[in-house]
Amino acid sequence: MSLVESLHMALVLIFAGDRDVVSAIATSLEVAIWSIVFASLVGVPVGIAVALGNFPLKRVIRVMLNSLMAMPTVVVGLLVYGFLSRQGPLGSLGLLFTPKAIIIGQAILATPIIANYSLGAIQVADERILPTARTLGASNLQCFFQLVCEVRFGIVAAIIAGFGRVISEVGVAMMLGGNIHLYTRTMTTAIALETSKGDFAFGLALGVILMMISLAVNVFLTLVQEGRHA
Amino acid sequence: MSIPKYKLSSIQVLYGDILGLAVDELTIAAGGLHVLVGSNGSGKSTLLGILAFLNKPEHGEISFDGVPVDWESGECSLLRKRVTLLHQNPYMFSGTVAANVAFGLVARGIGKEHTRSVVRESLERVGLPGFEQRNAKRLSGGETRRVALARALACNSEVLLLDEPLTHVDRASAALLEDLVATLASGGITVVMSSHDERLGSRLGGKVVRLEDGRLDPIAGQSPFNEFSRCTRRDNANS
Repeated sequence: MSLVESLHMALVLIFAGDRDVVSAIATSLEVAIWSIVFASLVGVPVGIAVALGNFPLKRVIRVMLNSLMAMPTVVVGLLVYGFLSRQGPLGSLGLLFTPKAIIIGQAILATPIIANYSLGAIQVADERILPTARTLGASNLQCFFQLVCEVRFGIVAAIIAGFGRVISEVGVAMMLGGNIHLYTRTMTTAIALETSKGDFAFGLALGVILMMISLAVNVFLTLVQEGRHA
Repeated sequence: MSIPKYKLSSIQVLYGDILGLAVDELTIAAGGLHVLVGSNGSGKSTLLGILAFLNKPEHGEISFDGVPVDWESGECSLLRKRVTLLHQNPYMFSGTVAANVAFGLVARGIGKEHTRSVVRESLERVGLPGFEQRNAKRLSGGETRRVALARALACNSEVLLLDEPLTHVDRASAALLEDLVATLASGGITVVMSSHDERLGSRLGGKVVRLEDGRLDPIAGQSPFNEFSRCTRRDNANS
């Protein structure tokens, strides 16, 4: 099946409202968006704190954040699995093989990425921002918000980079979600499953949809970057 | 004798092994114009940064209105609401000119109506009426400096510190700024201004402080700082 035919089939499946496709897309987007919300709430302040702070372990934390960015998804899945499995410390919560488990794993995956990119955005920010805000009478909190406001394009880029990572990952979703039909099956786990079953066309169709989502995210990122220089 | 606005004692700033500033004693009286003159790297901006409570010196003490400054507490944050520094190369926040000029007022919790009128008045004072809705990032160099001055004026601080405000501005703008500075100084605001122009102090009727290689070099009869500094330096030179 050619790419054009796959695209045609993907569009047919989408517009026909195929239950499996719609469910996989909805689950993927749901877990990715929630995980990015939580990862942003942690990652952005951590990145800013590391960039601005002056403390003994700063260099160690930076090396750790860099290393965690390249952490394999299956390792994250394995670690979280250990915590959420019945014998694990959080086993009693019954989260394993639910969308919440995938959200936890993907949030852990995205946090160092968002923190690192936020850190980079602050480091390249104009060094006159804080002194200017301070001398105009801004409090520390007002200075912080002004700095974030000035580097908002970099922060948005960090969040989008995190989203790109989690929407396309398969290890966490497979290990923590269990690939349960119409419940925890995401686009990536569905592609892996359908391809292994020999339904290459269905997998390819979902792949095309995933590519379109990634393309849309990157177009948005480009528009944000262009807005920065406008 | 009235309490000076600033009193600096044994101030020292180091950039690695290089001496940035060394001031034995410096007193700046409340009100009027004080001009810091010196060549590039003489320590003018460093001194202004200390007077603005932005940079803590490695050594020494500073009193403001007779009260010693505690750099470690949140006191500096409060003092910065009374002192405003116009940087040599001012930064414009993203957004409109009005948002920039209003920044200090918003930080002080001033109401919207009053802020709007202060913004308009401040821009008129620097000769930029009607600039409110311009994009602050798209101003020329001269306009940026004037908007930054308007932003500093809007804060209505007791002390206005100007780091070489006349550099890279055309003659008409320079004349306007000089008139404005003279008006502010005669109106009771303490204005400390740095410049390469040694004649600026006498032209505007201000007191002159000369800095060379990070050290004070008093000009006889014009210096605002006290005899202690001169005696100490003379003693050191004789020893």
